[in-house]
Amino acid sequence: MEKIEVSKEMIKKLMDGVLSDQEVLMLQNSYKDHDRFLKYLEVLQERVPWDDKILMRLSEHVYIVQKKDTGERISKCTCGYEFGDYRVNWKLNCLINVRKTIEEMSEVYHPVPACPEPEWQEIREFFCPGCGTQLAVEVVPPGYPILFEFLPDLDSFYKEWLHSPLPDHGKYRFEDKSLTLIEKWSKEV
Amino acid sequence: MFKDLDDVLKNAKSLKDLLAARDELTQKTGTYYGIQELKLKEEDPLKFEQFYAELHSVVLRAREHSRLITASPGGREMGESLWSLCTPDGDTLANSLGFSTHMVAYRKAIRFMIENGYEENPGINEGDIFSTDDGNTAGAPHPGDTYTYLPIFFDGEMVGWAAAVNHIMEAGAPVAGSWPGFAVDTTMDGLVFPPMKVGENYTPARWWEELWKARTRAPVFNILDDKMRLTGCMYIEQGVKEIIKKYGLDYYKRAIREVIEETRRAIVENIKTLCVPGVYEGTSFRVVKYKGLSQVWPHADKDFMLHTRMTVRISPEPKILGDLTGTSKWDYCAFNGYPGGADIAFYLPVTGNFLNNTKMTSGLFYDIRSYYPEGCTYNPDTPYAAFSNIWAQSMSMGALHWNALTRAFYARGFLEECISCEGDWAGIQGAGTLANGQQYGFTNFEQVGGVAQGAYPFRDGIPVAWAMWTQLCNIGNQEEWEYLIPPFFYLGRRLVKDFCGHGKYRGGLGLSSVHWIVQPGRDLYISRGGAGMAQTPFVAIGQCGGYPAPNSWYVALRNSNLNEKIKEGLPYPRSADEILEYVNEGKIEAKDLQIFKADPPQLRMEDGDVFSDASGAAGGWGDPLERDPYMVINDLNNEWISEKIAYTCYGVVAKKSSIDGKVRYELDVESTEKTREERKKARLSCQSVKDWWMKERKRVINKDFIEPVRYTYKSSFSTKDGEKFRQYYVGFWQLDKDFEL
Repeated sequence: MEKIEVSKEMIKKLMDGVLSDQEVLMLQNSYKDHDRFLKYLEVLQERVPWDDKILMRLSEHVYIVQKKDTGERISKCTCGYEFGDYRVNWKLNCLINVRKTIEEMSEVYHPVPACPEPEWQEIREFFCPGCGTQLAVEVVPPGYPILFEFLPDLDSFYKEWLHSPLPDHGKYRFEDKSLTLIEKWSKEV
Repeated sequence: MFKDLDDVLKNAKSLKDLLAARDELTQKTGTYYGIQELKLKEEDPLKFEQFYAELHSVVLRAREHSRLITASPGGREMGESLWSLCTPDGDTLANSLGFSTHMVAYRKAIRFMIENGYEENPGINEGDIFSTDDGNTAGAPHPGDTYTYLPIFFDGEMVGWAAAVNHIMEAGAPVAGSWPGFAVDTTMDGLVFPPMKVGENYTPARWWEELWKARTRAPVFNILDDKMRLTGCMYIEQGVKEIIKKYGLDYYKRAIREVIEETRRAIVENIKTLCVPGVYEGTSFRVVKYKGLSQVWPHADKDFMLHTRMTVRISPEPKILGDLTGTSKWDYCAFNGYPGGADIAFYLPVTGNFLNNTKMTSGLFYDIRSYYPEGCTYNPDTPYAAFSNIWAQSMSMGALHWNALTRAFYARGFLEECISCEGDWAGIQGAGTLANGQQYGFTNFEQVGGVAQGAYPFRDGIPVAWAMWTQLCNIGNQEEWEYLIPPFFYLGRRLVKDFCGHGKYRGGLGLSSVHWIVQPGRDLYISRGGAGMAQTPFVAIGQCGGYPAPNSWYVALRNSNLNEKIKEGLPYPRSADEILEYVNEGKIEAKDLQIFKADPPQLRMEDGDVFSDASGAAGGWGDPLERDPYMVINDLNNEWISEKIAYTCYGVVAKKSSIDGKVRYELDVESTEKTREERKKARLSCQSVKDWWMKERKRVINKDFIEPVRYTYKSSFSTKDGEKFRQYYVGFWQLDKDFEL
């Protein structure tokens, strides 16, 4: 194993799917570059059409950002749609399509015997309300709570692992706040 | 008790002393045996590395030698075997190639032997052979995985264990094969035995051989494998003695502990380098359809899903905890397991992702741990739970763990390490009687040896090129399986069109083989031992908008005119989907065509019948509408996807033409752009999650689910920690605090 310098250009190529298999293999076989995260953030920041500071990428199109004007930490889509407090599961603020029948399921699972069984399972597709991009898929039984795929402990990560605490360190307690939104919904029932 | 490692090495008198000292010093200090400095490594790093290289070399050679000296075809061909060197108290120092996380079981079995006084009764002496395949006492995942332990002595002092495991061909359960898919309790698991002394002076006992003959259906193969494991262990024993002679006993005893502490430190560094602290949630479901199959066992006569819920918590120290709270309660089915065997699945992503720059030792276990609530599928609160096929759903647990880590790697920018991980696999198993009266049992490991790799965030997954559970992906030779299983012939083997999780990058396609039955003799019964079944995908959440992979499905074509068509020289189907096409198009007529999306029962097969599997598909990554449309056209032209999926899933419109009788597709750019725009618009008119929640909540309050779904939730509410999941469920749907399903 060797340690290699991974440039921003290489990261861009990797993200775009144009890095050769040989180069990917080289990356896999090498010691990891400790500055990858910061270079990655720079590349991501250059590519989004807004200038809120990206703190972390959660998914292909979902980022945790620090809003330029208010300083709030929110989750946000590439298109600019804002999902709110990053500690609330962003999927709760999406649009949703649910496939329940074999006919609906066989549009995305095929051949037909490969389809999940209706009534036992349903396919949930989560879309960004701003751009319609499919951000997440769940295949679960009816009645299953929506999963919060990943809630990072940002303050610990920046302070203890990167040794570079965020300017508002300590302001956002590390906790899942999804229930606060659901409780609001329940008042409208 | 002991103040440090030096004190232990000087004063420990027994294996019990060593084990207690290891536990106490490690827990108290957070480092292995309380080791603060890697003295031997620091004094002479080259000597230290050379020492380890020699240990590693011994176990590597043990595998390659022993499987060529005596082995069943399964033992010789497949990757599911492992030879290892362990410390006297059960930590692993070095592994051969193979299914490396089996080393989890070594710790469990050796601990059991030590804590239960095996030093006194039956005694642990030079040349003694121990064996086990038990989950509860010895950490075996299932009875098909059989372990051999040989203690290593030097000048009268016990200095370690040589250990080996392989997946045998037949486990002796009521359902023939090595992963019985139907078992009500452990008495139906087959030949299960706790750690036992099965030989002395390096010689297996006569009764031991007779036991294999009496209690399993493939005794010749199983005895060959038993000798294979022992051969490798003896090779390790001799090699270790030579190494101790060269380096000295004192060096050996300290160095083996430093090696493990070195790994532990490397794991900690790798977590910090690759991950992000936080909470990662995942879930998976596995169908159990026993309704009607088990009318003689009323307590097992039900349909439900096994729910595996995993919350991975990466803490800043750093430590990783895989918390299985919310997982189903154990049940009267074949798919339970015990913590040791479950951990073999849990640690798969650790060996797959964190050991690339260090030594593969037990050092990986100390800062990454699992938690299985008492009473759950992976930790039954009874020793009588069946565990004949925990692999049916524990692979999904490994995949959930892997996908959680992938989310962390993705956040850090290490895209080259990210895959949409799946754990599906399949095996065909059974028993028969040849025309001459010879009885036999078998397992075909083809679809365990290799499955498709999931999509990366930058490229498609590759079919039949990977397996989460082994570095040695190898589906074996068709010819080998054909001679091993007399009436089974391969009529075809090919990738199944559309059979993957789709996405911007799609998973590798699943594989299908058509097993043609030719002159089975007096009788032949087959079933399926495998992981998921298509009724539920395995991993319930896709990556970044991609779809999780579909699971396995099967086709049994019996009492058909296939043999006549073959005699006439007409084309025949090469995969499960082609069988269905042939029947639909009238090219084959069958009186009995069955499609299985849940485990089939044992099926009686006659001459000319066919059994076909479709398995090992992998998951996608990203929104399918973002897939390069030319990649979709390429898939069409390679017959990897259908026109239907190109349109319905990818929004791609293709122009079809025929050149020299061969169908070719070209992209209709304008229609594709229009179709994709329309799809996006349609998405934007979908309901909000809030509106969906309002409607679904009423359904939950009304308990408007089919019984298997209701049972699944109730089961998850009823483990020791099930109340936590119930409260979470009640919170999400804002239900009465006493709500029950």
